[in-house]
Amino acid sequence: MRDVAIGQYYPSSSVVHRADPRFKLVILVLYLVTVFFCESFFSFGFLTVFVIVTIFLSRVPIGKVLKSLRMILIILIFTTVLFMVFYSDPDSKPLAEWGIFHIYLKGIYAAVKLGWRLVLLVLMPTVLTLTSTPTELCDALESLLYPLKLLHVPVHELALIMSIALRLIPTLIEETDKITNAQKARGAAFDSRNPFKKIKAMIPVLIPLFVSSFRRADDLADAMDSRCYRGAKGRTRLKKLHFHVGDVLALLFWCAVTVCILFLKYNWFGWGFIALLSI
Amino acid sequence: MIDVKGLSYVYSPKTPFMTQALHDINLTIETGDFFGIIGSTGAGKSTLVSHFNALTRVQKHSGTVLVDDIDLSAKKIDLKKLRAKVGMVFQYPEHQLFDDTVLKDVMFGPKNLGLSYDEQKTRAFDALKMVGLDPEVFASRSPFELSGGQKRRVALAGVIAMHPEILVLDEPTAGLDPVGKRDIMDVVMHIKADCPTVVMISHNMNEIAEYCNKIAVLSRGTVKGVFSPRELFGSQELLEECGVELPLVTEIAVKLKAAGVDIDQTILTEAELVTALQRVVRRA
Repeated sequence: MRDVAIGQYYPSSSVVHRADPRFKLVILVLYLVTVFFCESFFSFGFLTVFVIVTIFLSRVPIGKVLKSLRMILIILIFTTVLFMVFYSDPDSKPLAEWGIFHIYLKGIYAAVKLGWRLVLLVLMPTVLTLTSTPTELCDALESLLYPLKLLHVPVHELALIMSIALRLIPTLIEETDKITNAQKARGAAFDSRNPFKKIKAMIPVLIPLFVSSFRRADDLADAMDSRCYRGAKGRTRLKKLHFHVGDVLALLFWCAVTVCILFLKYNWFGWGFIALLSI
Repeated sequence: MIDVKGLSYVYSPKTPFMTQALHDINLTIETGDFFGIIGSTGAGKSTLVSHFNALTRVQKHSGTVLVDDIDLSAKKIDLKKLRAKVGMVFQYPEHQLFDDTVLKDVMFGPKNLGLSYDEQKTRAFDALKMVGLDPEVFASRSPFELSGGQKRRVALAGVIAMHPEILVLDEPTAGLDPVGKRDIMDVVMHIKADCPTVVMISHNMNEIAEYCNKIAVLSRGTVKGVFSPRELFGSQELLEECGVELPLVTEIAVKLKAAGVDIDQTILTEAELVTALQRVVRRA
């Protein structure tokens, strides 16, 4: 139960940890867009270098970051293999074929790129969640979505719901552990192999968990009410987000990286020749 | 009998969140003991008792726990047998109620032991009677519509119905009013007739002084010592060293003594205080 991905913050005081979460989020979005525009091995290598540098700067053990790949390992193998054997290239002869399966040289390249892209897509968000607390991310999101207020989107309320949910996840996990232990002490067995029995065994845990969630929600509402909570109006923050020169520089840098990748892809001003150096 | 030797426990080992919860604990709880465990929050009381029915497993090379003849540091433990033997009542046990009637909820434990339906029902009825709830009235009601004290009794009955030989209570009276506290402790003493060994964690020194015959003081994961109530509450140095408050009645006696009244300072129960005061009044 303790391996839930959301609470995976790795405490440290590295440059990446100290960076403004708003900038981190924007950079992440930029990065994800860039990954989708990558087409040549050259641009993939280019991005990978930056990912490795970021991981290095964050001082999170590399094993912790790579652990996130375990989640997508099955999807990764499944998609790349399927992509490889079903790729068809009418211009060249297949390297090997068994019935409906064909392997072309280009197919191998395309499959490797697909896998590489998936890995890149997972690694960077992992670095973000390892280096920023859920609260920081929530505050950053509220701050970034602020313009939507003009369209009467209840940004503050949404952020509050999200931060309450995030805040209560560890509490609920703890509560689940407690109730599970209490039922185990009464001889309940949760280790049955039979899936139906397993679901049935969860009932004595789920019902008390629901009851206590409602109780907690009531208590929280009362507590907020008694402290005169009345929404976003006139509310100040305990922890204000501040950005520094470094954050702006990092953002500019990533903008530059994105532009470079776009140059490589669309051959703007003929700069795409760099890509010709690779495959 | 529970025998704890050299027990240590570490939470989240090999991570930045690593904390040593227990460090080299040695304890023996004899059959027939009413064993109190006290200590401030985070001293490791709950972690220690959760070893007693293997909800927390003994970590490798971190000591041994023996419950009668069952070695809990072994790889394979007969959990069913152990959990029938050691009944565990957690803090706020009413939070574990789940079934739609009181009877079914109390029968949950016996059912898991694989007993026949009739046996389950008999045990549930007996357990409800023992905690002072009339089965005719309460058996068919929903546990969620009962009062706080009644819910706690139902939860207690759910553990007693398994006929444990050792009962472990984690703050059984937390969050109850004085009358509710007394009622629960009366129920516990009533249970003790059938289940000879009781282990109780409590912050309430009044209860500890009145009911326990041995008290273990825990501090930051180590045992400061095991004392009899008179040893502990009679010695100012021990109390200060362990950071323990006096029970209310003892405090009254100490203050009376300081004010010049001729009274024994190591009074532990209300009854003792009343007798002592009567003697003083008669003499005067």
